[in-house]
Amino acid sequence: MKTAVTPMKLCSQSPWKKHKIALFMLLPAIVAVFLFNYLPLLGIVIAFKDFNVILGMWDSPWVGLENFKTIFIQPEMLKAVYNTLIYGVTITFGAFPFPIVLALLFNELRNARFKKFTQTLTYMPHFLSWISVVGLFYTFLAKEGSFNQMMTQITGGSWESNNILLDDKYFLPIIFWTHVWKSTGWSSIIFLAAITGIDGTLYEAATIDGCGKLKQTWYITLPSIKGTIVTVLVMSLGGLVTTSFEQVYGFQNLFTQENTEVINTLIYRQGIQGGKYSLASAFGLAQGLVTIILILTANFISKKLMDTSIW
Amino acid sequence: MKRTKGEKIFNIFNIIFLTLLCVIMVYPYVNQLAVSFNEGKDTMLGGITIFPRKFTLTNYCAVFTNPDFLNAVIISASKLALKTVLSVGVTFLAAFSLTRKGLPAKRGFTLYFMIPAYVSAGVIPTYILYRYLGLIDNYWVYVLPGVFTFYNMVIMRSFLQELPSSIDESAEIDGANEFQVMYKITFPLSLPVLATITLWIAVDAWNEYNLTLMYITNRKLYTLSYLMMQIVKESELAQQMALQASMGNTNVSAAPTPDSVKAATLIVTTIPIIMTYPFLQKYFVKGITIGAVKG
Repeated sequence: MKTAVTPMKLCSQSPWKKHKIALFMLLPAIVAVFLFNYLPLLGIVIAFKDFNVILGMWDSPWVGLENFKTIFIQPEMLKAVYNTLIYGVTITFGAFPFPIVLALLFNELRNARFKKFTQTLTYMPHFLSWISVVGLFYTFLAKEGSFNQMMTQITGGSWESNNILLDDKYFLPIIFWTHVWKSTGWSSIIFLAAITGIDGTLYEAATIDGCGKLKQTWYITLPSIKGTIVTVLVMSLGGLVTTSFEQVYGFQNLFTQENTEVINTLIYRQGIQGGKYSLASAFGLAQGLVTIILILTANFISKKLMDTSIW
Repeated sequence: MKRTKGEKIFNIFNIIFLTLLCVIMVYPYVNQLAVSFNEGKDTMLGGITIFPRKFTLTNYCAVFTNPDFLNAVIISASKLALKTVLSVGVTFLAAFSLTRKGLPAKRGFTLYFMIPAYVSAGVIPTYILYRYLGLIDNYWVYVLPGVFTFYNMVIMRSFLQELPSSIDESAEIDGANEFQVMYKITFPLSLPVLATITLWIAVDAWNEYNLTLMYITNRKLYTLSYLMMQIVKESELAQQMALQASMGNTNVSAAPTPDSVKAATLIVTTIPIIMTYPFLQKYFVKGITIGAVKG
């Protein structure tokens, strides 16, 4: 009775066989991720070794945690850790409210064309690379540039024209404000989308109850987008212990480099430029571990507090 | 809806504030544009705002006569094209596959793709491994390593999940295999999200410079954005370019200076994006809102 068995077999066909074409389509991604994301994890062993280019990754001698101890001895590295934390915390928390406020302001605009126009212009800096932003601000902040001219006019001549990019005490304000300049417009999109999704009848009811715009924002808009705010904040918490390499490296110059080194730039300088591969790997690994712990903790807390998880 | 007096005042302030904000956003770029068209020596006197005072094209001549320029444009454009096509292809196939009903080990595959979004080997271990893979000083380092990113796949997957599954099912009943469903049904329906991801990848590929910084030493493989990084960061290079361009030029006052060469290079590098993004803006934005809905 062959014919009777066949339909049974069809039903119980292995899902691997049934989806062999779909599985085949997954293959390029699997291979790419394996080669370029998983395989490099092997390289982490050199953080525990004294890596020697000639001996290679496997034959270089083990040194245990020696490299990690060095991190805490080298003043250069401690300084980089300190800078990274200061920059990371300032940018993550300091720049965070800007896109929310901008989204609230966009939402109040009634003229659709003006809204579109302002959105297009505020999104613009997002499309520039960090190095272009650095170039733009070098011109803007130059000694004879627009910034100094403006300050001279405002202060009535008492302002002393100087290129503030060459002074390391302005480094943090510069990277903070250029970050705000570059990302505020683009980051407002996600909040604006959340605001647009709020049920309009809530506002109608509030208006009938005599609630003004300010109260409506405080009691309706902000609580309604709480989930989005928490999600975005949690996702950005990894930023507390990292800085944008392209930004910091771009803004550094011979005058400021010594005092503005962060973990990323020091890893590049000591590792790839200086050939101290093992030390730089240990440094990177320590940073990576702290980042993961931060993200997991933040997600755990947000799950407990608000039922909002990024997963 | 009737507006109170307070709301009217608020609206006027809102419009003024946002207009000012737009000026702040655009001014540095317009200023750079003016400097790039102004005589270098004149710029050093200060006072250039949004129009060039002494118009000249010599700064751009310095950029275009740079022997590395043409090569860098070719490298940048070709890697952008290759990376975008390959990356969108790989991502789309994976997203399609992961939205098939009854795909075995779906959670396992998703986890496999998700882990690298949180755990990375770090700069130096990656560098060492790329050396073993022969990717150092190799053109393919621009194209292959970032070919799949979890985030882009999630955006595509969210979009595909919203497509009505009844079309797929009826096609399968009619005997279409998964490849035919992908090619004939899902692909044409996914064009909006494909446009979004394509643009994201293309902009990133055009803008990034640290792949060259980390993995490339061969001048012939420099990209335009790396060239610009060098010109912006290393004044000597801009100085040299300015000198070369001013040689044989009789008009001494129009000779480019390092800063004016920088400005012209920056404009040349960024103008392709600045000119196109306003028209493609809705595609750029779409992906973000897909991500926002699905988290």
